[in-house]
Amino acid sequence: MMRILDPTLSSPAMAAALPRAPRPRHLSGATIGLLANGKSNGMALLDRIAERLRERHQIGDVVRVAKTNASAPVSESDAEVLAARCAAVITAIGD
Amino acid sequence: MTAREGVDVADPWAAIEMCYAKGWTDGLPVVPPTEPLVGAMLAAGPWKPDDVLLHEPVRDRAVTADKAAINAVMAGCLPEYFPVVGAALQAIGDSSFMLHGPATSTGGAALMVIVNGPIRERLGLNAKTNLFGPGYRANATIGRSLRLVLLNCLDCRPGVLDKSTQGWPGKYSLCFAEDEASSPWEPLHVSRGFAAGQSTVTVFAAESGHNVLSHGTADPEQLLTCFADAMAGLGSLSPGRTVIVFAPEHAGHLHRGGWTRPRTQQWLYDHAWRPLADLKRGGKVEPAFYSNPSLVDWLYRDAPRGRPALPPDPADAGRVQDGDEAVRVHRGLGPDDILMTVGGGDAGGHSAFFPSWSRGRSVPFVTKEVPA
Repeated sequence: MMRILDPTLSSPAMAAALPRAPRPRHLSGATIGLLANGKSNGMALLDRIAERLRERHQIGDVVRVAKTNASAPVSESDAEVLAARCAAVITAIGD
Repeated sequence: MTAREGVDVADPWAAIEMCYAKGWTDGLPVVPPTEPLVGAMLAAGPWKPDDVLLHEPVRDRAVTADKAAINAVMAGCLPEYFPVVGAALQAIGDSSFMLHGPATSTGGAALMVIVNGPIRERLGLNAKTNLFGPGYRANATIGRSLRLVLLNCLDCRPGVLDKSTQGWPGKYSLCFAEDEASSPWEPLHVSRGFAAGQSTVTVFAAESGHNVLSHGTADPEQLLTCFADAMAGLGSLSPGRTVIVFAPEHAGHLHRGGWTRPRTQQWLYDHAWRPLADLKRGGKVEPAFYSNPSLVDWLYRDAPRGRPALPPDPADAGRVQDGDEAVRVHRGLGPDDILMTVGGGDAGGHSAFFPSWSRGRSVPFVTKEVPA
């Protein structure tokens, strides 16, 4: 018998370090963040999704944020705006 | 000491198959990462198990020395390679490298690692014949370690986070040493601010290499014309960086001609261009470029009438306009965007051009010292 070690980061400790935000119970009237990753058509895709959400779930305001570089993380200031204002955030890549 | 968490298997053959079953490989068999092997790997570097060697900020993933060592064992590294693996992880984890892009993009970049300094010989890293090909354990397994870390720690699995349209074989491993003795210039790492006696890794996010074949001339300008032509190919023309790996034979021609590193870089930059009209004919100017000031700057930085006073109309992106034949669009933004190194067999007029990943600026070269 031999034991091999796990090369991944998918351990319970990892999950505990990055807990999930609470899920909204419904979207009616909720402010939704749209975070486009910086590619050409990410926001176009997100805008269509927001339209559908408005039709189906009567969402409230939409906060639109576009990263300037798809490889870079979202800026601290944009992340703070999204966290402060939004019940949920949708992110997308669209090339 | 209690045994570490892991998966128990009957024997090494079962361990190899278990790694496949768990999705922990690049498609080739891995060395089963047992605790003694991982311990020996860690002991060969200066890091504690919990030291973070690489933090990827977009997905907030931290790769510790312990996880790096597990993956280095799996890649087939000897323990003495681990300082190079660790330094290379620190280099691709440098914030300027913006790893999330080259690790995930459709562009399918490989992580090129160029090793300089005394450690090359200590580890038997190949700088000569079959430079990018098989046959050398240190080259093959150090480069492979980075890819296994991306696969296993950053979830850059094909179709999951790695969305490479095609990728290329360099994604398995792309690590080589500079042939410092054959270089007409100071070693690469010295040109980047390190001492000759230090050992370093220099990383680059590379698209597949293009062979630059020239057997027929020893004249530096004729020779470099072939390189500039490869660099100006529409397929990869971009404002991004370039790596040129000169074969010793080509490097010798430049040496005898007295061509310095800055002069060669300048000549290549000056001659690696296409008319804006060609870019438009090839559909390489996208309407969205005109709403990006840095791309407008790239397109028009060498225009006879200077940069346009008003942003061009996006509708003009695909239309050849008066004057577009005279606008020279260069590869990169200047001579410093061309990194030149030397390697390969002593026989043969075969060098290589590696374009950066992405249609945009892509990411810079990063050099880090290998800890002694």
